[in-house]
Amino acid sequence: MKALTWRLLEYYTAMEAARPRAMIPSLFAGYDLGNFYDEMFSRPGEPRRPYAKVFERLASISSEQFDERRKLADLSFLIQGITFTVYSDGRNTERLFPFDLIPRILANSEWRQIDRGLTQRVLALNLFLQDVYGKQCILKDGKIPRSLIYSCPYFVREMVGVEVPRGIFTHVCGIDLVRDSKTGEFYVLEDNVRTPSGISYVLENRLVLTRIFPDAFHASEVLPVDHYPAELSRILRSISPRGADDAQVVLLSPGIYNSAYFEHSFLARQMGIELVEGRDLIVDGGIVFMKTIRGLQRVDVIYRRMDDEFLDPLAFRRDSLLGVPGLMSAYRSGNVALANAVGNGVADDKAIYAYVPEFIRYYLGEDPILRTVETYICAKPGDLNYVLGHLAELVVKTVGESGGYGMLIGPTADRKTLELFRKRISQNPRNYIAQPVIPLSRVPSYDVSSHRLGGRHVDLRPYCLFDGKKVVIVPGGLTRVALQRGSLVVNSSQGGGSKDTWVLRGEG
Amino acid sequence: MLSRIADSLFWLARYIERAEDTARILDVNYHMLLEQSQDSYQLRWEPLIVMAGEEHLFRRLYSEVNAENVFEFLAFRPDNPSSIIQCISKARENARTIRDCISREMWEDINGLYHMVGRFSPRDEIVAGPHRFCDRIKFGTHRFHGVTDATLPRDEGWQFLRIGWSLERAEMTSRLVDVQYQNLLDELPTTGTPDNHQWMAVLRSVGAVEAYHRQYHSSIEPEKVAGMLILNPQHPRSIRFSTTEVQSGLRAISGSDRGSYANEAERLAGKVVERLSYDRIEEIFKQGLHSYLNELSAMFASIGSDIARNYFYYAVVA
Repeated sequence: MKALTWRLLEYYTAMEAARPRAMIPSLFAGYDLGNFYDEMFSRPGEPRRPYAKVFERLASISSEQFDERRKLADLSFLIQGITFTVYSDGRNTERLFPFDLIPRILANSEWRQIDRGLTQRVLALNLFLQDVYGKQCILKDGKIPRSLIYSCPYFVREMVGVEVPRGIFTHVCGIDLVRDSKTGEFYVLEDNVRTPSGISYVLENRLVLTRIFPDAFHASEVLPVDHYPAELSRILRSISPRGADDAQVVLLSPGIYNSAYFEHSFLARQMGIELVEGRDLIVDGGIVFMKTIRGLQRVDVIYRRMDDEFLDPLAFRRDSLLGVPGLMSAYRSGNVALANAVGNGVADDKAIYAYVPEFIRYYLGEDPILRTVETYICAKPGDLNYVLGHLAELVVKTVGESGGYGMLIGPTADRKTLELFRKRISQNPRNYIAQPVIPLSRVPSYDVSSHRLGGRHVDLRPYCLFDGKKVVIVPGGLTRVALQRGSLVVNSSQGGGSKDTWVLRGEG
Repeated sequence: MLSRIADSLFWLARYIERAEDTARILDVNYHMLLEQSQDSYQLRWEPLIVMAGEEHLFRRLYSEVNAENVFEFLAFRPDNPSSIIQCISKARENARTIRDCISREMWEDINGLYHMVGRFSPRDEIVAGPHRFCDRIKFGTHRFHGVTDATLPRDEGWQFLRIGWSLERAEMTSRLVDVQYQNLLDELPTTGTPDNHQWMAVLRSVGAVEAYHRQYHSSIEPEKVAGMLILNPQHPRSIRFSTTEVQSGLRAISGSDRGSYANEAERLAGKVVERLSYDRIEEIFKQGLHSYLNELSAMFASIGSDIARNYFYYAVVA
């Protein structure tokens, strides 16, 4: 019986192999590498090593077969409710986050380099936060201007002198990397150390992709990612003021109308902790409680997925209905732990970004492993002049914004937008930085209208967990892809999609 | 368990049950009426609106009570808070706020049902008649029960679901018997003995025709039908069975023993169960079916509000 099955299998495999390639309308027909670093191909038709097995399988299926699998994946996301809500015509409609089925693949050696670079960076960022809310040595030593720190809207004075549990500020960081087409190397584009989101897509994308392309996945030997929730849970328990064993850990979400709500419920489920909203919590005598059917129950650790300013109407925005009155004072007196810490925004301010290499040298005595993008800080008069003189060649970013908002891409902007930004920058230089345009690398992605693959620009957001001693990074992370042809903006709020990211066990 | 979650589980179950009950009643009535003469045809639709408790809204929206209007109103109208699609959508919205507390299978099931219901075109369904639509709803809610049964741990959350759908079912069955009986009796003088078909339809709407035949081996008689729907200890849609479920659920949460109670909801549920266990249908008719069922309905409403008071709300203590 077994022998028969094997023989059939062999037979089918032979059939597949014997099928003439030219008969199949290839997904790759007319694929153009363009003037960019293509992550799949080194030259037309010549896949790089990590992609070899995936290419082989993709080349053997027709665009119809591919489209069928794509629809299956979409349906699976819809049924699972992996959607975000948009408001149009006065109604809420739910949309899928576009998921592109072609994986983004990194060889093991490439990833190890990234992993080391990120580890170094996370350690430095955490040390910087400890310092800036503590002794402020780096300011005294003049390595970064005081004015830059005190003018940052995310510097939280209430945090000065607060001792956070185990000295951890950056429990979770999402650090955005891009690969420059000119050098083929990875650069850090920005740090997200407040409440980075997207990890649920990493885990769900993987699940869906392994169901849809089990063979290609299996053949490539990909490192797993599904230990993330357990690692995060371990860290959250470790910061409990009452010890890890009895820790009551909750995830605080703004609720179902938040665009990341799916992720909040996903993580709560994966970690087996309560998902709470502000209205479920109450502070009494400096202790945080949640309202249960059996009365009030003490809360030790809050993984909050809400910005600082909404956390506590008594400390920050008084009109916040999402937060919990008294939470900050409970936190400051050490009765409850928050992850991430409050006030982290001072470390991912886009102007502070330019100083992170200096942090690495100052706190760790090491040279930065990952490169950063050359950054003009408009608060510096010299930089400001340069930026205003070269607006049309630069990317201008608002220092506190994320999600691709408040951005100017000089080379593609029209005259009116350029003038608008020129005025805004001159009025409030501290609020802006500028960087050269980076020609992002591309990965083949499915184009729904042509039913073919086309090169699309990508970035990479790995998720780094810090437990006070070591940094744990799940291999890969979220690859975001600008699905619009020619677009450089990968943010989901701006028409971007995502890909599963594979880190191989070997070199491919 | 968080109070908000208990609240959402309770309402998730109630909305699912309300969608199913509405679908059942719509479907059966429609088919029964096809077999009727034209003049009584018109009359039959009124009770459905009454049962849904939305007479005023219906009159504001429609000028005529006919099959199409009632079907559209009860199945599809987004502005009718009890319409089937609204119930499914609210059930799903409740599930969404607590998806970390229900199984992944339950969430995917109710979410799938929601997307399926959204794809029906009301125009096409009204032309096709309610059967196809109602059947899908019934199948959908049954499947949700099955998925829940197979995947959810029997913890407090499960008890709140159980209480939710049992309480809703007890209320709906009580309203169904009351309205239908009233209506059928009103017609007695003109049509003589009420038509078997109509009582059969009542039984069918709660899926109890076969159980009735097994128990009584006789033709369909109004009193027996009412007796079955109110007092039967075994049929899952009878008022007695449903109230016993509510009572068991409440006890499982509070841990109170037989003969004692921890709160007003338990006391009332116990009282109703005792009554239904020892009353006979003849006695009920002697008191007057309508007033008897009215009393039950009032008790169910009190049970619902006391559950909320005990488990869902937190008075803000200044």
